Amino acid sequence: MSSSLDKLLENPRVWRGRNQVQREAALSSGYPELDRHLPGGGWPLKALTEILTEQYGIGELRLLMPALARLTAENTPVDDNEPGWIAWIAPPFQPYPPALQQCGIDLSRMLIVRPRDPSEVLWSAEQALSSGTCAAVLFWPETLDDQASRRLQLAAEKGHSWAIAFRPMLARKQPSAAALRLELHPEGTRHSSGQGTRIHILKSRGGRPVVLNNLKLSQYPA
Amino acid sequence: MSRISVPKSLVTARDAAPTPHAAQQVLPFVEPAPLAKPVFLVPTSAQRSWFCVWLPQLPLEASRSSDEAMAIVEEQQGIHRVLLADTQAQAAGVMAGQSANAALALLPALRLEERSLLREQQALEALAGWLERFSSFVCIADRDVLLLEIAGSLRLFGGLRPLREKISRGLQQLGFAASLAIAPTPLGATWLARAGRRVCIRDQQNLKSALRDLPLASLDWPKHLCSSLSGMGVTTIGDCLRLPREGFVRRFGAEQMLNLDRALGHLPDPRHSWRAPERFCADYEMTEEQSDRELLLNICRELLLSFEQFLLTRQLGAQRLRFSFFHLKGVATELRLGCARAERSAECWLELLRIRFDQLLLPEPVIAVRLQSGMTQALQAESACLNFHAAVDAQARRYSITQLAERLIARIGHQSVHSVSTVAEHRPQYAWCAQSLLLDWASNTLSEARRHLRRPLWMLPEPALLPADSGYPLYQGDRLVLLDGPERLETGWWDEDGISRDYYTAVNRAGMRLWIFRNRCQSSSWYLHGYFG
Repeated sequence: MSSSLDKLLENPRVWRGRNQVQREAALSSGYPELDRHLPGGGWPLKALTEILTEQYGIGELRLLMPALARLTAENTPVDDNEPGWIAWIAPPFQPYPPALQQCGIDLSRMLIVRPRDPSEVLWSAEQALSSGTCAAVLFWPETLDDQASRRLQLAAEKGHSWAIAFRPMLARKQPSAAALRLELHPEGTRHSSGQGTRIHILKSRGGRPVVLNNLKLSQYPA
Repeated sequence: MSRISVPKSLVTARDAAPTPHAAQQVLPFVEPAPLAKPVFLVPTSAQRSWFCVWLPQLPLEASRSSDEAMAIVEEQQGIHRVLLADTQAQAAGVMAGQSANAALALLPALRLEERSLLREQQALEALAGWLERFSSFVCIADRDVLLLEIAGSLRLFGGLRPLREKISRGLQQLGFAASLAIAPTPLGATWLARAGRRVCIRDQQNLKSALRDLPLASLDWPKHLCSSLSGMGVTTIGDCLRLPREGFVRRFGAEQMLNLDRALGHLPDPRHSWRAPERFCADYEMTEEQSDRELLLNICRELLLSFEQFLLTRQLGAQRLRFSFFHLKGVATELRLGCARAERSAECWLELLRIRFDQLLLPEPVIAVRLQSGMTQALQAESACLNFHAAVDAQARRYSITQLAERLIARIGHQSVHSVSTVAEHRPQYAWCAQSLLLDWASNTLSEARRHLRRPLWMLPEPALLPADSGYPLYQGDRLVLLDGPERLETGWWDEDGISRDYYTAVNRAGMRLWIFRNRCQSSSWYLHGYFG
């Protein structure tokens, strides 16, 4: 009985989710509740992460700051001698250096790119990802179709870089090759300063979709 | 008298430094007639070795572009006559001095090319540039003669024989037939080379005996002079030297005598060192118009490779260069490339070029391509490091941040790529600045973050005016709730941009956190200055 079952399981067409143990390199997000639901216990490095938001200013950067701060402080997996760079491609506003510094980010490792043409956003992102110098590449594309996301995913794998795409909520219906897709919703008591954020993990390679309620995002490192 | 008593070696050592004949130049040249041999001066030129490269086929080699039989013609008294013919043409019976028609009758497939002195000069200069790698002193002595001072290079190249081998092989590979000779004086070397003697003379004494039996034809003296000398039975340099000096000078002029003295090392013969131009400019001309982009890219590659060679011989790099694509009609299309720092490698330039070339619009087919370099500068070489631990991952690192910035800048422009740093300033809009990545970005960032300040991660380029409802700010039609504040900033009164503001953190119904302020002195309207992203 068990031998026939084994034979069946050997069939390459049978996919077993639970036993997928090839854990990719992960970077702790700095939020233990979130880490618990991410495969590998953190952000998937060498992969594309998509963050979907309705608006800016709801904590989408604060969510990433602890991990980014660690990236600029640590040595990259690629080169032992040098921490990686963080590339910002087509940010909607000016990333404000004093605030970034408060989050613990090394400003001498920031690269800000503002392409004039929307089509060049993806090109720049791909260049930055595959260069192997950028530990993380944050970009705000106007459009990101399935094919482009696959390309970026490959570039991220090749360059050992973490790609983070910020996209509008409308994009949640579109297919994407991203390893991780999150939705951010602000929630909770608007009169207190300890405002929470709901995170909906839409897709997670090696994990499962889940909704996290009332995550407290802090701008300042503890 | 005291001058003679100084030991010889001392005199030579001191005087040899810039020009070995510096002491001799005080000799009066005005009256050269009784040219007594200067006895008291030590001929220090024994320390110098002049390497002469004579290019007898230069007119042919400078114009050669294909393998077909070719001859160079020159107009003499209204008739085009063959000046030089290559081996294929010679085999068919084409000879120098024939008329062009006769040559064509012998070999109908013969390509006749008008002699171009300009092209010869360019070829000669290119060759001089190439020879600069062997000596710091290269001199273009004549329209087909190059001279190198090699005494200083012997140790580096491991002696005379390897050096000579290297030069000879290199010339052959470059496609030049050259006659080489080495002698202690520049003129001596030139005459020996012209006579086709493959000799190497290091010693003053040997020089005289070697020069003695050279025919007068190898001296480029005027024709009528040579013929009258040979009419007298004087056919070699030795015969000339046997003539009484005074009589020779009176009959044939002082210039010739001086020439002989210089060749023998009795008189100084200072030369000007040739310097390659420090900017590179090269053309690639095509026989017909081309619009194939792959082909054009290959041409650019070739130009870049010669550019790399140019830089390599000078130990230089360039930061800027310009390609011009010429069309038969209309103005040339230009493409400029820039690097973060002085760069030499053709590969690196080519990669930048590829990025830009994709976007380049060529309105018409191209007939010629020109590569011009900007100012060259000393190359800042970087030592690579040996890292055993990261050996496996080393391949993943494809290029450095500067290279990445170069690529991005090449495509999307200089203004769009930058780095940032903070500035010690209380006014939020002045508390940071953009830094170019192309400069040396020694960061002046404040080391200590001011943690007690509450600053948003997103900043608006200009504060945006918010509508207000009975004194409360509105955002997207929604009344904002103030969470935090005020933080009063009243500073900058010393210049035009002084501020006096109360900053608050506010939140709207959608959960967005805003950084807003109200001016204290003017109207009480609200402004949005940033988002807590």
